[in-house]
Amino acid sequence: MATVPVTCVRLTTSMQMVGKTSSLKLVPMGRIKSGFPCLRTSRFQISCSAKPETVNKVCDIVKTQLALSSDTVVAPDSKFATLGADSLDTVEIVMTLEEEFGISVEEENSQNITTVQEAADLIEKLVEKKNATA
Amino acid sequence: MAIRINTVSFQSELYRSFTIPQPKPIRSPKFSMASTIGSSTAKVESTKKPFTPPKEVHQQVLHSMPPQKIEIFKSMEGWAEDNILVHLKPVEKCWQAQDFLPDPASDGFMEQVEELRARAKEIPDDYFVVLVGDMITEEALPTYQTMLNTLDGVRDETGASPTSWAIWTRAWTAEENRHGDLLHQYLYLSGRVDMRQIQKTIQYLIGSGMDPRTENSPYLGFIYTSFQERATFISHGNTARHAKEYGDLKLAQMCGIIAADEKRHETAYTKIVEKLFEIDPDGTVLAFADMMRKKISMPAHLMYDGRDDNLFDHFSAVAQRLGVYTAKDYADILEFLVGRWKVADLTGLSGEGRKAQDYVCGLAPRIRRLEERNSAKAKESVNVPFSWIFDRQVKL
Repeated sequence: MATVPVTCVRLTTSMQMVGKTSSLKLVPMGRIKSGFPCLRTSRFQISCSAKPETVNKVCDIVKTQLALSSDTVVAPDSKFATLGADSLDTVEIVMTLEEEFGISVEEENSQNITTVQEAADLIEKLVEKKNATA
Repeated sequence: MAIRINTVSFQSELYRSFTIPQPKPIRSPKFSMASTIGSSTAKVESTKKPFTPPKEVHQQVLHSMPPQKIEIFKSMEGWAEDNILVHLKPVEKCWQAQDFLPDPASDGFMEQVEELRARAKEIPDDYFVVLVGDMITEEALPTYQTMLNTLDGVRDETGASPTSWAIWTRAWTAEENRHGDLLHQYLYLSGRVDMRQIQKTIQYLIGSGMDPRTENSPYLGFIYTSFQERATFISHGNTARHAKEYGDLKLAQMCGIIAADEKRHETAYTKIVEKLFEIDPDGTVLAFADMMRKKISMPAHLMYDGRDDNLFDHFSAVAQRLGVYTAKDYADILEFLVGRWKVADLTGLSGEGRKAQDYVCGLAPRIRRLEERNSAKAKESVNVPFSWIFDRQVKL
């Protein structure tokens, strides 16, 4: 019997389960529902979202900058403006992100950062670029 | 002229809207400092009509001061007569532009003009770009007298109103008028600049007007003018210093005498706001925070010469590079005013008032930090032509 977590079975509607007893190769065929970690490989970027750690770090920086109470919910799609950030706050948030992640944000790009998710995505893109050229 | 604020744009932010506050060309609703710090409103460039000057597009707010507060200013008229009008100089004691220019009634006139032009030849183009920008700002004086007369409780209701406030506004305008005259005549005689382009820019600017977002409130209005007068004092002081370095002592004297007027005006306006802090500390601190959040916008931020859609940004960048008026100056002025009005010591404020107090007291360091980061970033040097100097190029 394959040692496959039960949840795997639920999602494998489109998967061919090879009925071998020694190993169960889960070969994704067709669409794979995202959010299922054990199916995700580096070849499959199911969603283009930034890593959760990046998103969380951005949330922390935003919370500190805007002096939000710890029970304020900062979600990935939270708009800075809705959280109470003015233009100075946004510039300072971008500055802190630059310092935290060791990146440099171009002016044109900084204008497009209006939510936590956008910030995290841009950060990962810039970090990847930085590592590629390193 | 109190109205010349360079909205410091921390980089793109700073030069634009900032001061800044500030209605800014749509190119960047970014944080801008006054002078270099501008406001966050956008300026619209019409794509259909070429050569249209920029316009303010933000929603204009009117009469934000509650009408019962108008009484405060009525009741201050006696105090203003004794404490503010004293900062005006009697006309008989005032300098006139002619005092600093070649005397056309004298035999030595032509020679004096030659000397003036010889001295001007030694002064570089980038200095002239800044001096021209300052002169154009001064020449837009009609806009500033208008702006003072938009303020509830202190406006000149007839054009010859006998109230202390109206007397102040008219006399202030009369004093300022000499600044544009002096600089205009100097630039004309110097031969270094394209007078027609400059005059065109002035016509566009007066036609455009400006909205410093003072919302008819004298609280907002006098805070704005306090900031502005100090800004112009600093920038004319710097142009005076540079002129001296270039060996033109007469030009240095001109800029210096203008700066001295601005200093006197700054003293008067800051005194008014000091009194307001005494009478209504909560209302005044809220007003201070409001103006700083909106950023002190440059009076000439809508300047246009028929050719350069980013004229103000380019001019501000040169002023920043030459150290005539910078983001650091913006922060310094803010810090000075916070000290001058003892904002940190205010007590008995409402919850909103305390937030405003914290915001204002903490703002200058934030601006400085941003500016330090910005200046540390290496920037490519860009050369840009200015129609004011016959399209010769100057580094931004």
